[in-house]
Amino acid sequence: MKLGAGDYAHVVLQQGGIVPKGTRVEVFRQIFTVFLALGTLVGVVVVGYMVYNAYKYRDGDGRGDDPDAPRLGELPTGGGGGRKLFLSFGLSTIIVVSLIAWTYGTLLYVEENPPGEEGETTNIEVVGFRFGWEFVYPNGHSASTLRVPENETIRLSVTSDDVFHTFGVPDLRVKTDAIPGQTTDTWLRADETGTYEARCFELCGAGHSYMTAEVVVMEPDEYEAWYANTSGPNGNSNSSSAGDAPDGSSALGAPTGAPSVPAAASSLEVVA
Amino acid sequence: MTRVKLYTAIYVVLFAFATAQVLVEQSGGLPYWTAFWAIIALSFVKALMVAWYYQHLKWEPRSVTFTMFVGLLAALALTTAAAYSIL
Amino acid sequence: MTDENTKADGGVADATHGADHHHDLPDPGHVKRWLVTTNHKDIGVLYTITALFFLVFGGVLALLMRLQLWTPGVSLLEPLQYNQAVSAHGLLMIFWFLSPFAFGFANYVVPLQIGAKDLAFPRLNALSYWLYLFSGILMGVSFFQGGTFSGGWTMYAPLNLPVYTPNIGASTAVLALTMFTASVTVGSVNFLTTMHRMRAEGLTLRRMPLFTWTILLTTWMMLFAFAALLAALMILSADRLLGTTYFSATGHAGSLLWAHLFWFFGHPEVYIVFFPALGVMAECFQTFTGRRLVGRKWFIAAMVLVALQSFLVWMHHMFLTSINLQIKTLFMATTIGISLPFDLMVFALIYTTVKGKVRFTTPFLFSFGALMLFILGGITGVFLGAVVLDYEFRGTYWVVAHFHYVMVGGVTALVGGLYYWYPKMTGKMYDEFLGKVHFALYFVGFNLLYFPMFVAWETPRRDFVYPEVFVGWHQVATVGGFVLGASFLVMFYNLFVSLWRGEEADDNPWQYSTTTEWAIPSPPPLENFPGKPTFRDGSLKFLPGAGSRTGGTGGSVADGGEFTVEEATDGGASVSQAADTHAADEPESHASIWPFAIGVASFVLLFGLSGLQNASFPSGIEGGFYAALTVGGLVGGLAALVAMATEEFHALTGPFGESWPFEGVENTKLGVWIFLASDVVLFGAFVGSYAFIRVAEGWTNWHHLIPEAHVPLPGLINTYILLTSSFTVVLALVAAEKGSRWGLVGSLATTFVLGMAFLVNKALEWLHLFHVHTEAFPQGWNIGTNIASSTFYLTTGLHGLHVIAGLIVTLYLLVRAWNGAYLDDDRPVEYFGLYWHFVDIVWLFLFPLFYIL
Repeated sequence: MKLGAGDYAHVVLQQGGIVPKGTRVEVFRQIFTVFLALGTLVGVVVVGYMVYNAYKYRDGDGRGDDPDAPRLGELPTGGGGGRKLFLSFGLSTIIVVSLIAWTYGTLLYVEENPPGEEGETTNIEVVGFRFGWEFVYPNGHSASTLRVPENETIRLSVTSDDVFHTFGVPDLRVKTDAIPGQTTDTWLRADETGTYEARCFELCGAGHSYMTAEVVVMEPDEYEAWYANTSGPNGNSNSSSAGDAPDGSSALGAPTGAPSVPAAASSLEVVA
Repeated sequence: MTRVKLYTAIYVVLFAFATAQVLVEQSGGLPYWTAFWAIIALSFVKALMVAWYYQHLKWEPRSVTFTMFVGLLAALALTTAAAYSIL
Repeated sequence: MTDENTKADGGVADATHGADHHHDLPDPGHVKRWLVTTNHKDIGVLYTITALFFLVFGGVLALLMRLQLWTPGVSLLEPLQYNQAVSAHGLLMIFWFLSPFAFGFANYVVPLQIGAKDLAFPRLNALSYWLYLFSGILMGVSFFQGGTFSGGWTMYAPLNLPVYTPNIGASTAVLALTMFTASVTVGSVNFLTTMHRMRAEGLTLRRMPLFTWTILLTTWMMLFAFAALLAALMILSADRLLGTTYFSATGHAGSLLWAHLFWFFGHPEVYIVFFPALGVMAECFQTFTGRRLVGRKWFIAAMVLVALQSFLVWMHHMFLTSINLQIKTLFMATTIGISLPFDLMVFALIYTTVKGKVRFTTPFLFSFGALMLFILGGITGVFLGAVVLDYEFRGTYWVVAHFHYVMVGGVTALVGGLYYWYPKMTGKMYDEFLGKVHFALYFVGFNLLYFPMFVAWETPRRDFVYPEVFVGWHQVATVGGFVLGASFLVMFYNLFVSLWRGEEADDNPWQYSTTTEWAIPSPPPLENFPGKPTFRDGSLKFLPGAGSRTGGTGGSVADGGEFTVEEATDGGASVSQAADTHAADEPESHASIWPFAIGVASFVLLFGLSGLQNASFPSGIEGGFYAALTVGGLVGGLAALVAMATEEFHALTGPFGESWPFEGVENTKLGVWIFLASDVVLFGAFVGSYAFIRVAEGWTNWHHLIPEAHVPLPGLINTYILLTSSFTVVLALVAAEKGSRWGLVGSLATTFVLGMAFLVNKALEWLHLFHVHTEAFPQGWNIGTNIASSTFYLTTGLHGLHVIAGLIVTLYLLVRAWNGAYLDDDRPVEYFGLYWHFVDIVWLFLFPLFYIL
């Protein structure tokens, strides 16, 4: 029943033009803007009305005593005004439900139908560890910097080697939990080349605040060239250092008990 | 005295059901999931009999039964929804 | 009513409390009074003061964090210290401040509003308080055991395990929270029994005052939600102290299991802390606008709906985990569904002001401010309900800002409640001007503190490194934090000084207040009412007669038969005279030292247990210290429990009029049943954890984790034993009903022997499994061997503990039955039977789950 309705909504919402689509950045911006505008409007109206009433009906403006005023010891009963109450309630329900229904279309799009043609996508594994990130490419190449081509949908499979982390790249509006023993899937797509920051969003220990990684968005050609030069974990030692020299972000060191994870050193520059 | 007879009869039934649960598994005649639900169902029947007669829920206001039922429902909601979420 | 009149009825003009001299209770001036009191008003005061202490504790930690955030990066606190501050701030504020602060009022006001002289189980009420206080002290102690817990208040797994948070203090914090949970469970049982069973005549559930309504729903939610938390914390404690592997291994989604258990509790907890605040708002809005609440019955219906639905929204805290899309959709729908009733409540409050006579007193200002803040918190919450936005807000200051607007918005209303009931609780008026200054500073400080967090929402939560562009906003927030903190100094000064210099407060200092607490002196005398409160004729009256003081100097009360509230308020003399008369029959008891003793013993026991790791104490002096504490706490606690059980104590029995829907279920019986309902959830959560883990492992991919030696036979034998013992408990009750002393003794003795046989059989089975030597399990099958052994030993072990507790009670009953007890009153045997059959029922499920399937 639930799913049936969901499928129906799926069809309707996906075909209509009102569902925000595009990169995660665009989707977020559109929805957030609408929510912010409506939220501010509702907030101002409701709080304004509240203050207006409280001021208007303040005591001491010479109105006489209400003969029906509450008396000490009476059994609690309700006041009148039920119709107005339900009108406002109905209105707020319509606003909230329609807003959420509207974004549900985008949720389905984001979850099931990300942009980009079939087969084009690259799948990169992301492994969180205390306190850094490891990115494993389809060819087995592993690095501490995430390099992706511009304008291509990259699928990420995220997990963790030790505790619960959350992988996020704020500027690309991508985020998902990194849970030991579980894999979560998400995707990202960048419109512009440049360097972004990925970081951890779930408290994971002493180095949590420094648990970052670079995300480099490259020109597709440049990316292809770089990628062709990488090889599996046992290949070119320059491009896949398995040394345990910690990068800057894990300078605090992992306290006892944390598994040591190869923090791929920044030897990538050699290749790039 | 009839109460005591009733209690005794229930005791015998409970005893038999517990044995039946083990026999269902040991015989190996049923497919796993059929046996699973049979055994769980037997547990529920036993529990209901204890609660209904030994704990006197039968003779208490229904509100007491309802309270326990709400607790059971909360536990079942947690169990099923959590298990379903990772399927 | 004049000052002299108030004083006339037995020294109530004392700044703290009524001191009637014909009781076992020392004067309020004595420290001993506060250690032994079981009176709900005293305990309410204790709760309020203690909660305010923890507000300061948690607040100071928050200010340390704000100072750290003045600039991004390490400055004041080391990273782990910062994490401890973050975690302890959250834990202290949510558990040790917010709920107990509300329960200070609940203790004081609810019995007054429903017309009860005390709670159903006064000593359990004192026990709740002492467990609360000592759990808080234990939390404080944890800072000195190498540092407290540093994994956030959500305590996500597996960061919450000793591998990652190795301090003993972290274990202590978990145990402190467990103790707090016990306090809450005891309190919930007590309040639910009281509120259902002991309402004045005519005060049906539908007609209860709104504050009482919110507390009723809060305690129902507490009963079930905290049982789930108790399960989570017990499992966590076992992982930390005994070496079970629930949350550590990765194969079976231990991380997710914690998230499910925690948030199943955690979301109802949001309403648990917010509902009392809503109740205060409703009371203050009605009193200070002089209007009755618009749409009152819909307001109540909305709250009932929220209370039920609060157990079906928890996964919206887990939208970014690996849960599937279907369940996300379902929980998105329930989440939106639960936000709508709040819209109705907000509008109801707003419309109540229309055509009113709004008086901007301090309590109203705080309630009004709270509603504004809650509206902002609610609107920003809708953003989080949109899953696509939630994906981005997760782990950022948007969440931080949102829940502070909601939760601290709730605190705002509760502070209003403190001003509202301060005259009732102390008999003095606070300084109105300083109260308004407090509100102004508070409101400005609050918004300076939390609003910039919305603007700087891209700051990662619990980080002290954040983008440079937000430095300005964070500095504004820090300034706001100090303004907010300073505003409380004004409040403390005001309330403290007013205790001595404040004007005497009337019975009813607020025009248009309606509820019963305002119809009696400020502060109320020990017995609360001048007669038996009733609403039979549609409004409050105090009847002389059963349950009240009769005879003696009678005065107008005895002559007139009854008098109305108007008389009482106008002619205070009649009230004082009534209250001054002496009790005709046995008075209720108000003092017992044993709750305090149990609190101390529990503290010692858990402090001792905190030293455990992998089921053994550290070697040397330190280990000896912890072991000694454990043994001492255990022995002392048992002794105190027995002493409390044998102590003579007269509690109220009720009913006094309204007991729907539990008419005919005596107080203690109802208490036992309500406790068992929470135990259902406790075991349900254990079984649910087991089911979840097996589903994660693949349900049928399980038997390789279990040695061949683990066969159904010992379990089947124990099933037979337990079923038989249930039957003998039934026979014991039959014997008691027939007045057969030796039948009773014989049945109880048989029960005891069967229970022991159960334990011995279990011990033999466990020893055998510990020492199996097979290819798969060369080291035996121990508690930490794998997840199957962990779930088996822990779940059946918890059941075993229930059996042991039952056997201790059996022994107690047996000794008393031997001496001839229970033949004229068999209720203790019956109530013990309820518990014992429940333990039996649990086994009926554990047996197939852990032995057959």
